[in-house]
Amino acid sequence: MIDKKILDGILKKVEKPARYIGMEQNSVIKDLNNIKVKFAFSFPDVYEVGMSHLGLHILYNLINEEEDFVCERVFAPWIDMEEEMRKEKLPLYTLENKEEVKNFDFLGFTLQYEMSYTNILNILDLSNIPLLSKDRSDEDPFVIAGGPCAYNPEPIAEFVDFFVIGEGEEVTLEILNLYKRHKEGIWDREKFLKEVSQIEGIYVPRYYDVVYNEDNTIKEMLALDPEVPTIIKKRMIKDLDSMFSPEKMIVPFVETVHDRVSMEIFRGCTHGCRFCQAGMIYRPVREKSTDKIVELAERLIESTGYENVSLSSLSSCDYSELHLLITKLMERFEDKKVGVSLPSLRLDSSSIDVLKEIEKVRKSGLTFAPEAGSQRLRDVINKGITEDDLDNTVSYVFKEGWSTIKLYFMIGLPTETDEDVMGIRELAYKVKDMFFAMPKEERKGNLKVTASASCFVPKPFTPFQWMGQETIDEFYRKIYLVKNSIKDNKVTFNYHDPELSYLEAIIARGDRRVSKLILRAWEKGCKFDGWSEHFKYDSWLESMEELDIDGFFYAQRNRSLDEVLPWDFIRPGVSKDYLIREYKKSLEEQTTSDCREQCRGCGIVDCTMLGGGNK
Amino acid sequence: MILRLIFNKKNYLKYIGHLDLMRLFHRSFGRADIPIKYSEGFNPHPKFSIANPLSLGIESDEEYMDLDLEEKIPVEEFMEKMNKVLPKDVQIIKGVYLEKEDSIASLIAWAYYEISFDIRENNSKEELENIFNQWLLKEEIIITRLRKKGKKKIEKEENIRSFIGNLLVKQVKEKEITIDVLLRSGGNGNLRPNDFIEAMNRDTNLNIDLDSIMMKRLSQYAEKDDNIYKPL
Ligand code: SF4
Repeated sequence: MIDKKILDGILKKVEKPARYIGMEQNSVIKDLNNIKVKFAFSFPDVYEVGMSHLGLHILYNLINEEEDFVCERVFAPWIDMEEEMRKEKLPLYTLENKEEVKNFDFLGFTLQYEMSYTNILNILDLSNIPLLSKDRSDEDPFVIAGGPCAYNPEPIAEFVDFFVIGEGEEVTLEILNLYKRHKEGIWDREKFLKEVSQIEGIYVPRYYDVVYNEDNTIKEMLALDPEVPTIIKKRMIKDLDSMFSPEKMIVPFVETVHDRVSMEIFRGCTHGCRFCQAGMIYRPVREKSTDKIVELAERLIESTGYENVSLSSLSSCDYSELHLLITKLMERFEDKKVGVSLPSLRLDSSSIDVLKEIEKVRKSGLTFAPEAGSQRLRDVINKGITEDDLDNTVSYVFKEGWSTIKLYFMIGLPTETDEDVMGIRELAYKVKDMFFAMPKEERKGNLKVTASASCFVPKPFTPFQWMGQETIDEFYRKIYLVKNSIKDNKVTFNYHDPELSYLEAIIARGDRRVSKLILRAWEKGCKFDGWSEHFKYDSWLESMEELDIDGFFYAQRNRSLDEVLPWDFIRPGVSKDYLIREYKKSLEEQTTSDCREQCRGCGIVDCTMLGGGNK
Repeated sequence: MILRLIFNKKNYLKYIGHLDLMRLFHRSFGRADIPIKYSEGFNPHPKFSIANPLSLGIESDEEYMDLDLEEKIPVEEFMEKMNKVLPKDVQIIKGVYLEKEDSIASLIAWAYYEISFDIRENNSKEELENIFNQWLLKEEIIITRLRKKGKKKIEKEENIRSFIGNLLVKQVKEKEITIDVLLRSGGNGNLRPNDFIEAMNRDTNLNIDLDSIMMKRLSQYAEKDDNIYKPL
C-alpha cells in the first residue's frame, strides 16, 4: 500500500481530487491478502473518460465476481496530479486498495484510440514498470492489452507482453485461471507465456520476428517457435444472453461523459460502412433478447440509482425488436422517472419511429452522421443514407420541437472532390432552410446547426486499409473551403486538427518500428495527445526526424493489394477477399446493401446471422 | 414536510465537492425510495439543500441538510434506508421533522473547526496559548480577498477579527498542534478556515508547515440575541 499521508497531502493540491480516491458506489474492495490473481485494469486516459467506457464495467465485474481474483482500476493521472506524484515520489496506485500497480500480477490496458499510447508509457513509468517488454522480470506485472486498436498490435508490440484480440469476456478468465494454475505449481515465466500463446485470441509478440523488404514494406512475419500459432484468430462470444453481463456499474462521484446506465443491446453491425473499423471487426451481429435487456436494465437502475438508460451498440436503431424493447422498458420504468435514450441515430425512417417513442422523456439535441456531403461520396463509403432520409427525418424532428442539430462529416475520404466537400455546406444550409421553410408559428426553439468534420484516418481491416491519407495541406485547403463558405450565424462549422489525424494514421497502420516513435515522443513529454491543448505536434515531428521515420510511408502512401500488411496475421472474421471486393466496389461508386437483406459473404465462419440465433 | 438532517463526511470523501455531494444524495434518495418532493416547472429538481458547503479536503462531523418530503416517514426508517445506500464515510446521524423554521442555509452563523498542523519549533501549550491570545488582542486582523464584481475580480481588504470566536489549544505533541476554533460562517460574514490559518501564520512566528494542515468541521451553530445554539 502506498503512503496515505503523502497521498493526502497531494490530494489537497490537485484539481478534482475525487478522480483519485475510488470509494464509489459499486466499486469492489477485497482483502488483497486472500487473492490469488490481482488484475489492474487501465483505461489510459483521465478518470472521467475511462469511467464512461462500458468495457471497463464489464471486465471489472466479471473478474471481481471470481473469489480468487481481483480487478482494481487505474487511470492516467491528470498533469497536475502527475507533477505532484513525481515530486513526492508516489508511485501510481489502484483506486480500490491504494496498492502500487507494480504489485499486481497483470496490468491490462484497453486500447480505444491510438493517441492514448503515450499515456500507456506514462502509466508504466509512473508505476515503476519497465517500458519495454524485454526488460521486465518476475518482479513486474504482465502488461497486456486488448480492445479495438489491438487488431493492429504492432505499433506497441515492444511495450506489451501479450495482446488479447477480440471480445474479452471468456478469454480473460481463461488467462487468469491459467496464471493461477501456474502460480500454484512451480512458477516459470517463460513457460506461462508459452502456454498463454496457445490460447485462441492471444498474441505474444516476442515469439515473432518481422523481416522487411528494401523498400521498407514487410517481407514476412516469422514465428520464432514452432509451437506458437502463425495466425491469430479473434475471440468472439457466440451467445450474448448467456455471456456474463454486469448487473452493477460503478457510479462515479464526479460528473462523467455518460452519467447513465449503459445497456449493451447487441454487438456487430450489418451496414458495412467502408471507413468503419468497428463495423468490420465486431461482425457478425449478435443480439441480446429483449427480456434479458429489460431484466438487466432493471437491475442496473436498481443498483446505480441512475435515471437514464442508454441503449448502446454500434447502431441501436437496428435492433430487430427495438419497438418492443422500448415499449417494454417504458412500461417497466414509467413511474420511476427513468428515461430511455439512444446514443446514435441513423438518418432514416426507423429513427423517426424510435423518436416517437422516446421523445416523451427527453428532448435535447439530435446528432446525425451523414459522414459525407454528397450522394456520390456516400456511395463510395457505403453510407446508406439518402437526401430523402435526411429530409424526412429532419422535417419530422423540427415539427416535434427539436431545434439543435449536429451533423458529423469526414473530410479526406477516398476519391473526394471539392464538390463533395462543399456538399457539407449544402447539407448544413439545407437543414437550416428546412427550419425556416416552416410557418413561423410552427417553429419551436432557436435553430442551431453544427456541422463537424473530422479528418479521415484509414484503418486496418477496413476496405480502405490500402488507401493513402490526405496530406495535411489538402486537409486544410478543404476545411477552409467549407469554413469560408459558411456565413450564417445559425450554422456553425467545427473541424478536427489534421495534424492529430495524420499521427493517428501513422500509428493506426504502423508496424513494429513505430514503437520507437511512440517511445521517443513520450520521452519528449508527449502525453494526452488526444487533448488538443496537450498535443505536441512539433515533438512528434522531431521524433520522426531523429529516428528517420517517414510519416508519408505510413500515413499517405497507397498500398498495393498484395503488400504484406503489418496486421495480416490477425484474423478478424471478415476475410481479406471481402475487403478487397469492397475496396474495388468503392472505387466504382457501387454500394453494398445491408447484410441482413442478403448475406454478402464477408467471410465469417459459422455466421450466427445465417441460421444461428438472430433471424 | 421538512426533515432536517445532520450527516458527516469523512476520510477520502472529504475530496467530494459540493455539487458531487448533492448528486450523491439525489441518487441515494432514489435508491432508498425516499418520497422526495420535486420543484414545479419545466426542469423539476429535487427539493433539498445542504447548508454552508464545505471546501474540498475538509472532513466534517456535522453537516446540515433540509429535505422536503411528499409524505412523512419515521426518522428511524429514513435513516436506516439512507445509510444503507450511502457510502460508509457519508452517513446520516440525526434527523428531526420541523414545525416551522427558517431554512437551514439562513440559520447557520458559526462553524467550529478542529485544525491540526506542524510548526517549526517546539512550543508548550502555555506558550502557544499566549501567542494566540496576544494575536487576538488586536483590534484589526486584515486579510485581502478576491471578490467578484460583475465580471471583474477586485481585491478587497477585510477586518476578520470579529469573525474569530473562541480559540482553544486542544493538544500539543512536540511540533504537532491541534486547535479548535469558532469561525463566522454563512450570510452575515464568512471566514474560511484556510484564510484564518493563513492570517494566523502571517501574524505569528509559528512557521506553519502548510502541507501538514488537516481540518475538520466539528459542529455548526445558529445565532440569536448573541447566543449561539445548534439548529437541531
Ligand atoms: S457472413 Fe454474411 S450475414 Fe454474416 S456478417 Fe458476413 S455478410 Fe453478414
